[in-house]
Amino acid sequence: MSRAIRFAGLAAAALIAYVIAEVCKADTEATLAVLAAGISIGEMVMLRPAGRAPLPLSFAVFTVLVRAASAPQFIVVVVAGELVAALIRPGPKAPAARALTLAERCAEALSAGAAYEIVMALGHQKETPGIVVLALTLAALAPIVVSDLVGYVQDRNIAPVRARAADVAIVASGTLMAVGYGGLGHDGDLGLLGPILFSIPLIAAWYSFELLASTRRSFEETIEALAAAPELGGLVREGHAERVADLAVSMGRTLSLSPVELDDLWTAALLHHLGVVCLDEPEDGASPDPLEVAMAGATMLRASEALARAGDVVAAEPLLHRPQEHGQPGAALSGMILKVASAYDELTEGDDEHAAWAVEALYTGPGYVYDGRVLGALERVLERRGVLATR
Amino acid sequence: MGSQPPRSFTLYCTVLFVIAVGVAVALLVVGESPPIQQVLVLGCLFVIVDNMDVDVGEQMGLSASLMIPIASIVLFQASAPGLGPLLVGMCAGAYLDHVRTGDWRKIMFNSANFGLAALIASFVFGLIVVSDPTLPPLPLLLFASIPVVLVASLANWLFVVFAMSILSHRPISEFGKQVWVSEFQLLVFGFLGVLLGQLYLTLGPWVVFLFIAPMFIARQTFASYLNLRAAHVAALATLVRALESKDRYTAGHVERVAEFAVGTGKELGFRQSRLELVRYAALMHDIGKLIVPNQILNKPGKLTASEYERMRRHEFVSVELLRRIDFLASVVPSIEADSVSFEHCADAPLETRILAVADAFDAMTSTRAYRRALTQEVAFSELRDKAGSQFDGDCVEALIRWIEASGTRYGAGFEENVADFKEPPPAAGTGSAGLGDLAVDGERVKQ
Repeated sequence: MSRAIRFAGLAAAALIAYVIAEVCKADTEATLAVLAAGISIGEMVMLRPAGRAPLPLSFAVFTVLVRAASAPQFIVVVVAGELVAALIRPGPKAPAARALTLAERCAEALSAGAAYEIVMALGHQKETPGIVVLALTLAALAPIVVSDLVGYVQDRNIAPVRARAADVAIVASGTLMAVGYGGLGHDGDLGLLGPILFSIPLIAAWYSFELLASTRRSFEETIEALAAAPELGGLVREGHAERVADLAVSMGRTLSLSPVELDDLWTAALLHHLGVVCLDEPEDGASPDPLEVAMAGATMLRASEALARAGDVVAAEPLLHRPQEHGQPGAALSGMILKVASAYDELTEGDDEHAAWAVEALYTGPGYVYDGRVLGALERVLERRGVLATR
Repeated sequence: MGSQPPRSFTLYCTVLFVIAVGVAVALLVVGESPPIQQVLVLGCLFVIVDNMDVDVGEQMGLSASLMIPIASIVLFQASAPGLGPLLVGMCAGAYLDHVRTGDWRKIMFNSANFGLAALIASFVFGLIVVSDPTLPPLPLLLFASIPVVLVASLANWLFVVFAMSILSHRPISEFGKQVWVSEFQLLVFGFLGVLLGQLYLTLGPWVVFLFIAPMFIARQTFASYLNLRAAHVAALATLVRALESKDRYTAGHVERVAEFAVGTGKELGFRQSRLELVRYAALMHDIGKLIVPNQILNKPGKLTASEYERMRRHEFVSVELLRRIDFLASVVPSIEADSVSFEHCADAPLETRILAVADAFDAMTSTRAYRRALTQEVAFSELRDKAGSQFDGDCVEALIRWIEASGTRYGAGFEENVADFKEPPPAAGTGSAGLGDLAVDGERVKQ
């Protein structure tokens, strides 16, 4: 049954695409309207690779538009498409944030148009395949460069080259979609059918990235559920693991840990009390030895390849005030962060009212030697959150 | 496949290969001469696609590979409709794993298989578009891709099932159906193949790169999705095993339940993604046991009322935790007033009913602190007895079919790693252990 529905859906989609392309063949205004709708839809459909900000498919539509519209038309279509997207975009409703995104997208679209026009002007407006393809490729690349610049200004962060597979897909497909629309010289002019057909590989890429992201999400949810188990059993204070994970990751980011280290720190922080479930309940109602809890938890995590590094962090945590017992050197900083974040949460009992006192206690606490750099990171994070008064 | 394939397989591969080469020579003599550059570009592309050894599942792999020979059919239609596709298809033999191990039978087989399939499909394509130098408009071409890709995959399927039949000494009817690629992605890739060929013809070889790059990325991403999913399930299984060690009397329970549940799902014809869901849910189904203190779990003999209460609470916790995992939410039973369990729900999702049966079967066929394992036959009849009331009849029969087909035996006498008990557990009557009350020596004992 589901297979029949898929076939029918595929056939219907193909038919609709064909009808749209045929209707728009001789009608510039209809074509531009379809492209404006394409921009709005493309804003909702994002490629979400790991380690990189999401990339909207509308970037590829910009490239087609560059080829299909004159400069004034280009601006009108982009603004119209982006305005609609800003209105119907799901997510937080804050108007200021939406206006900012709108402005950013318009700037990115304009950069695509500018890149195309500059190359064509340098090539004396000759429609040779080489020049057209170069101009379109740069037009597809320009919005990505602009969005990188915006990202860098906002949080000093540029995605590494190896996280750029989605960028390649957008640039290659955008160029091809534009070539398909206008053809090269006198060949291959498919009208709107071109961009529709050549978006298929891009949509396949989008679908794969979605699957990958959803797998990652379900694993994170599993970890969170496991973290909640000791809490539901009344063995750990409610919300402890979640708050510690949140704080530790912020601190780790301040201390410039790598994305992989941040992932492991997050997992370790959520599961650092999981070991408690494996220990016998102390007869007299006393709380179990933290070292034993950590070691039991670390042993479990280290058993599986994907969680082993998080296990190292959990194991490092309680040992770090005994320098001679350092276990895994790589995990030392993460372990220290986890230790400080966890101690902070124990002291405040989850209530930020006590933040100032808790930080003071961590600096002067008896017997414990917390790493000064890590304590500094804690202070900076708390200040940024407005929990601690800025000095 | 066996280490030494039968001589008939060697003969089969050789004959196919000789036919393919013979046809190629004949076509050359007749005067077909495909442009060398085009053969090289598509041939190399085919070798690369074929060797991108990412495990994307057999079906996906085949349909993606077929895209290139189909592109060649369009590309060579005017210049060399026979020899062009045949040569490109024959590049399938250059599969590095086979070349490295010197497996010349498979090299010949793949080469002839794809070459001849492309040749036959090209003939069909020629019939549709009635070979003339100017190709018909794109919509007609795209429509023509449907019969072409069906013929190509049919030819491919015939060659493969004959090979499998020879290798396994079993009739084709036994596995023919499971090798047939009937997924709709076959049509999509055929469609894209035709488009690729047309694009090459009108715009030149460089567009092939623009077209293939996003496909390549999609494929790699899909492969890493499959790998990551497998890694996560493995990590979860290990973690669950470690957690389970706190209850030494039920060691291996969760993983056996997962195995039974997945087996049942296979019998019921579940697709791979649904089987993964079942496995994941099975691995997590007992997670609430984490909160039961070790002393209670490992206590020999009867539990006190308060201990029993804590023991029962674990099912609520399991459900509460599973509810937080989005993609499992659909299989989590609903929480009712004070009874929650994977049983008792007639309108529960099929996955949930499968888990109930698998869970009960393993409980009955394992030795627990309160009674010894039942035999497999007793467990079967107990499940059948409660089919329709406590259990879903289809799930019960599917599990029994799967276990009988697997040939493995469970239950009394066939248990692995039975824990040592301080007090030997009593042998039970026909009570359905783990399913509620259990009669032992005339006395009703709570689990």
